[in-house]
Amino acid sequence: MALLDIRNLSIDIDTAQGKIRVIDKASLNIVDGSIHGLIGESGSGKTLIAKAILGLHNSNWTVTADRMFLGKTDLAKLTHKERRQILGKEISVIFQEPSSYLDPSQKIRVQIESVLPKKTWQQRFRLILTKIKKVNVQSRRLQIKELLHKVGIQNDVAVLNCFPHQLSEGVCQKVMIAMAIANNPRLIIADEPTTAMEAVTQSQIFRLLYKLNQLNNTTLLILSNNFANTSNISDYMTLVYCGQTVESGSYKQIMGSAMHPYTQSMLKTLINNVQFNEHKAQLYTLPGNIPSSNQLPIGCRLGPRCPRAQKICVENPTLTTKKGHSFRCHYPTKVS
Amino acid sequence: MLSFLLRRLNLLLITALILTIIAFAVDRIVSVNADAVVSHNGYISQYFSYLWNILNGNLGHSSVDNQALLDRGLIFFASTLELCFTALIFSSIIAIPLGLLAGLFRNTRLDYGIMTIAIIGLALPVFWVGVMAVLLPSVWGQVLPVDGNLSLIYEVPVVTGFLLIDTLMVTEQYELFAFIDRVAHLILPALVLSFFLITEIVRLTRHSMTMVMRSNYIQAAYAKGFSRTKIVFAHALKNALPPIIPQLRLQLSTIISFAMTIEIVFNLNGIGKWLFISLKTGDYLVLPAGILIISGFILSFSIFIEILMVIISPLRRGSLYADK
Amino acid sequence: MLINNGFNEDKIQSPLGYIWSIFKTKTIAVVAMWLIIVLIIVSLFAPWFVPHSPLAQNPESMLLPPYWVEGGDINHILGTDDLGRDSLSRLFHGLQLTLGGALLITLLVGIIGMLIGAAAALTKGVKASVLHHLLDALLAIPTLLSALILITIFGPSYTNCLIAISLSLLPQFIRSSFLAIEQELSKQYIVAIQLDGATKTRLFRYGILPNILEPTITIINRLFTMAIIEIATLGFLGFGAQLPQTELGSIIASSMELIYLSPWLVTFPGIAIFTVIIIVNVLSEGLRHAVLEGEE
Repeated sequence: MALLDIRNLSIDIDTAQGKIRVIDKASLNIVDGSIHGLIGESGSGKTLIAKAILGLHNSNWTVTADRMFLGKTDLAKLTHKERRQILGKEISVIFQEPSSYLDPSQKIRVQIESVLPKKTWQQRFRLILTKIKKVNVQSRRLQIKELLHKVGIQNDVAVLNCFPHQLSEGVCQKVMIAMAIANNPRLIIADEPTTAMEAVTQSQIFRLLYKLNQLNNTTLLILSNNFANTSNISDYMTLVYCGQTVESGSYKQIMGSAMHPYTQSMLKTLINNVQFNEHKAQLYTLPGNIPSSNQLPIGCRLGPRCPRAQKICVENPTLTTKKGHSFRCHYPTKVS
Repeated sequence: MLSFLLRRLNLLLITALILTIIAFAVDRIVSVNADAVVSHNGYISQYFSYLWNILNGNLGHSSVDNQALLDRGLIFFASTLELCFTALIFSSIIAIPLGLLAGLFRNTRLDYGIMTIAIIGLALPVFWVGVMAVLLPSVWGQVLPVDGNLSLIYEVPVVTGFLLIDTLMVTEQYELFAFIDRVAHLILPALVLSFFLITEIVRLTRHSMTMVMRSNYIQAAYAKGFSRTKIVFAHALKNALPPIIPQLRLQLSTIISFAMTIEIVFNLNGIGKWLFISLKTGDYLVLPAGILIISGFILSFSIFIEILMVIISPLRRGSLYADK
Repeated sequence: MLINNGFNEDKIQSPLGYIWSIFKTKTIAVVAMWLIIVLIIVSLFAPWFVPHSPLAQNPESMLLPPYWVEGGDINHILGTDDLGRDSLSRLFHGLQLTLGGALLITLLVGIIGMLIGAAAALTKGVKASVLHHLLDALLAIPTLLSALILITIFGPSYTNCLIAISLSLLPQFIRSSFLAIEQELSKQYIVAIQLDGATKTRLFRYGILPNILEPTITIINRLFTMAIIEIATLGFLGFGAQLPQTELGSIIASSMELIYLSPWLVTFPGIAIFTVIIIVNVLSEGLRHAVLEGEE
């Protein structure tokens, strides 16, 4: 069952040189309880898609989509108030460079407390009762402590009394994750959660996210530019190039039978021990560079760099779907 | 913290020393102008005796009425400060909410409206507004006094120099009338000075608010599903307001400069009018005294603000340790 | 639309060109720019086209009101003063001194201040330390006070007034440009340029200068505003332009005794100063916005 279903999402941004279509008919289908990797080079529009899902876009953006459903709620038709109900409770986000996403003038304790569900009157009443009767009921403090232990922070008291700038990026990211899972959301969007972190911390964070998915059955959408790293834990993957979703499918389909030239080139960039690399041989890359956002090619945006491109590629290819494996290409071929 | 304090005090000392040198130089030059007795010692020994006099609180005596310059200067300066701070409080009350609104609703009509008011406030030359305000009684009738610090019927002994406080001390004699009279005299000049201050504070607040609202943690707060009001009050204000204070501190000398102009226009007994009148009557010795009083105040106030900022802002405290 | 082009021939504009293309869309700012050009030309060539000499006295028509008020004369559109001198002509000549002086100060202080600010930011050690302490001390002296000091020493005249204002505004400008450069210096790409082995001048020219455009516009605008206000203030206090010279501040001062008799003599010069500052501020706001949007 699809938790998040996005069909033909387009984003136009107003600039002084006219409207630029940064996201061109992107489709995304996330299965409930899975880890979905959204992979693309930096600047390919992953973060824009995430922001469009959250509805956190600037006023000079125009977002259009044929379908944009989270479960049964239509994300495109939400009022501000309804959207607020969903954000933080149904969807939560983990950002890159976490320390800049924490309020520098508040202690961690205050920030975590602010995302916990509000106390109802009943709970408050019960809290007062427990104080009189001295019965131990799960209090806020315990709740926070539990959250922090869940994400692997042991010295919780010390961390809680710190300001964000006193903590390392890794700890900040763990705090962010703790805040994200505080309300048991159905979907967590992790926007390049491990950039600018050491390898050890990176794998810690990934393991943490994987555990979350396995234990709580939380759906994860991981945005990443690291194909090798993300593909290891993803159940499904979607590849983005210059704002177009080029191919999407399960781990097996992408790794085993990639149809789109871009995916194939990405696969070739993986360094593995099976393939023999000649001594001093060049590692594989696509020729050319990513075009700048105001000089995007028409049609399939991979066109100028694509090894198999032909005349027809100046038209946007339609989406082909086979057994949940979908791609946009005029000349798809399976490389054996 | 202690080493920080020591470092700041060290800076204060060096800067104060430079100021005394400037004051000394001015003193020498104007003394020659005023045909004072030029002693034949070297400049260096003259400077040290000058410095010794300053440390003893002796800035010389007026060449016209032979009164101690320091005492008179301080009394006048107190009234200038009173004007400045009344204007500061008044304009903060008006400008900070306006600036916050403009920053919050950036590039909307509200923002443009507020910024237009701010630019107009900056463009109005202070002395001209003062002159226009002096014209007011002829248009609207005598509503607010535009002349002097206090009506002449009240005789208030100088205790602190701050007339607002001094008038409160003579309540058994005049009840509250003297105080009310003082307030009435202060309103118009403070209002005129506020024009500039409001502009400055609106601009600073707006800039600071815009920067904060653009920052990542505000985005994160939106992503957590907080309402706009909650974000503004819980996150934005606490981060946007403190940076304004040191910025405003840099404007202190401009504010005092404007206050001095206003005193001359409104005929207020402040340091500006004192210097102006003394210079017109050829009493040039007030200049070094004026430099030392005003700059000394600005300098010590800056240091005070800096220490205050370190105490209230956790981020600054952090950077304090980091740069070692 | 760029997407529909068969062949993509749109060049990526140079940053300045891009900023200019944004600036052109801001109507008010463009109008302000033209108004400034007109003002400068008008004040430069004022002697050639004003109807009367600013000093020509006319005992026949003294204290005339503006022509739209009853008793006004069409020959003197803005009326005359107590010696029968034409207000409009005096206003234009006053503008010449006030605006011209302010522009001169802005240019001079801008260049010198930017250089010293850059020197202060780019040097380290004793030189920078001396500069900082000196600046701190000078900054603690209010502009009006330092102008008073310099004028007391050199004697009151228009030239001395300009020098005094330049010297008193210089520390402020150095401080602001220093802060702007300092902020830029801490960024990563500056480190990259430094690692390339760039000299200090190259670092300043290619690394810092293009990136401090926005704060520079703000501080130059501020410098100009303060300069014009200070010139008028000193003129008003009698320390600036001396009597036969007409300067907006001194015009106001000389009409102070007549303030109840003919208030427009005081009103018009004030409005003139106000208008000039407004126009310049609008222009600089427009430029600043264009730069900001261009950087985004």
